[in-house]
Amino acid sequence: MRSIKLQNIKKTFHGETILENINLTIPGGKIFALLGPSGSGKTTILRLIAGFEKVDEGAIFLGDEDITNVPINERHINTVFQNYALFPHLNVFDNIAFSQRLKKVPEDVIEQKVQKVIKTVHLEKHIYKSIQQLSGGQQQRVALARAIINEPEVLLLDEPLAALDLKLRERMLLELIDLQSTLKTTFVYVTHDQFEALTVADTMAIMNPDGQIEQIGTPKEIYEFPVSSFVAQFVGSTNIFKGVLRTTDEKHQLEIEGIGTCDVALPKHKDWITNGSTILMSVRPEKIDISKTPLEGFSNAVQGTVVSIVYHGRSTQYNVRLSNGQVIQVFEQNEEHFPKEVIDYDDQVYLYWQKENVVLLEK
Amino acid sequence: MRKLNLKAIFAREVPFFMAMPAVAWQVLFFFIPVGLILFLSFLKSGNAFSLTLENYFYFLKPLFFGIIGRSLILAFVTAFCCLLLSYPVAYCLAVKIDRFKNLFLFFLILPFWTSLMVQVYAWFFVLEHNGLLNTLLMKVGIISQPIHLLNTTFAIYLVMIYCYLPFMIFPLYTALEKIDKRMFEAAADLGATQWQTFRKITIPLSMPGIKTGFFLVFVPSFGEFVVPTLLGGGKQIFVGSLITQYFLGARNPYLGSAFTCISCLALLAAVGLIYWFFKKKTVAPVNGRK
Repeated sequence: MRSIKLQNIKKTFHGETILENINLTIPGGKIFALLGPSGSGKTTILRLIAGFEKVDEGAIFLGDEDITNVPINERHINTVFQNYALFPHLNVFDNIAFSQRLKKVPEDVIEQKVQKVIKTVHLEKHIYKSIQQLSGGQQQRVALARAIINEPEVLLLDEPLAALDLKLRERMLLELIDLQSTLKTTFVYVTHDQFEALTVADTMAIMNPDGQIEQIGTPKEIYEFPVSSFVAQFVGSTNIFKGVLRTTDEKHQLEIEGIGTCDVALPKHKDWITNGSTILMSVRPEKIDISKTPLEGFSNAVQGTVVSIVYHGRSTQYNVRLSNGQVIQVFEQNEEHFPKEVIDYDDQVYLYWQKENVVLLEK
Repeated sequence: MRKLNLKAIFAREVPFFMAMPAVAWQVLFFFIPVGLILFLSFLKSGNAFSLTLENYFYFLKPLFFGIIGRSLILAFVTAFCCLLLSYPVAYCLAVKIDRFKNLFLFFLILPFWTSLMVQVYAWFFVLEHNGLLNTLLMKVGIISQPIHLLNTTFAIYLVMIYCYLPFMIFPLYTALEKIDKRMFEAAADLGATQWQTFRKITIPLSMPGIKTGFFLVFVPSFGEFVVPTLLGGGKQIFVGSLITQYFLGARNPYLGSAFTCISCLALLAAVGLIYWFFKKKTVAPVNGRK
């Protein structure tokens, strides 16, 4: 499978620049997720790849082939639309067979192909139903089948599960992953939902509200080693501290106003890391331990007061106010029915984390 | 024993009461007159209360079949030409244009707000011997002598199409406007050319508008008598003009009623035929399976 390359893309709508200087390589044969808040231009990138929109500047390549000016209907790319865009005047079979009939494929071949994809998406029982008779999840499957029967090199999915409920969404995500590993088609998955992106993606890109790509990496890289506070806060939850870096040969510390100093581990090869520079530090809530009594063996400890408790089922979220007034989040797994130590509102608590588990950020 | 709660009954039936004036109007000024015409058509002229089929037998002549046929052709050609002319306009307004859409719609509906009589008389100035059209054609050099335009079949068709155009454009526009624009993108995405998208998506999805528009033009065109009478100079007789003749000219409501009933039957048959044709076309184009 060929990769997709976007080169110096610029796109404006009615004089407003949506995308500028977009350079992106989407690896072939994998699931690539494009994650960003609404208005970040991720759908525009998808529409540019599909050909629904024309670039103002730049070029789009499929492998070595420049497809910038190839019309929509001649690109080997198919799309699963956000609200499916199924043809209401055709039944399930005819919707799926649409592209094959355009190509004048013989009817008996079409019949076989439709039967095959319909099995892949588990719709055998609904083959001659009208679109209006189907549930949201079934319509989603028809949209998928209609796109993959064409055997596209690239399948674009624009918020494909946004209209489904949570349980169905989780199941469809797993089915999509299965489908991709059978077809080996390149999937480009656009979503604003970090859970979906982390679940399906082999590689993902995070876009910020200004239409720039902030970071590209595997879900683990993005989550564990975000490159900016935007990425850290958009993917998962985090606590951001601002401080001045004090670094010597044997010790690296962050001086945070009103709290004190924290030991930190330095990332390699970052030119903005110098003694005395003001930087940010991100600590994920689940990487912090909470206790009413002092604990041994942690590189960092701060004290605070519990201001609120949110019970999530598998975990409990404690919001703790530190001595500088900042409120930070802590997640604790609910491992036991009857925990030894019960933490309540207004309790004085100690928070602990290891210096290896913090991420230093320039901005 | 429960007390009859008049207030509650009244509240429940409010929609019914509100519909009453319109229904009364309809019954009084449409259904009763239609019944009257049906009744009159079976009466022997001059001889009160003697039922007969004579009035109907009178019209079993090629001359009258010709008149009905001519009117059906007029109605069909008018509706068909209106459809051909309106579709591109409605399509552009609904799909292609997003700015000044309401302004364009306003300009389209403007002539519709003018009285039909005024519109028809205005056409005299365009079509007459020294009228606008002849002058224009001579200036451009297409013709050297003014051509005869008024009182021709051409004039009738021209003005009929002009007058009925809005009845076609608006249903078409509404139907096309309702189509989800992503349908076109989805079709292109699946490999359809613009023409294929138009044939397989746009036309089937705008079918309700095509049907409505076609009948909105076809049915009244069939009975139209103002335009054929004024612009055809009375040389060609259509259903509408003949009925007017019987009622207002010859003062023979019995024959007039019978001819009205025969025309209505012919119209119903034609409408049924066209309806059947549309229905056949609306079924999923390729795959006939259940």
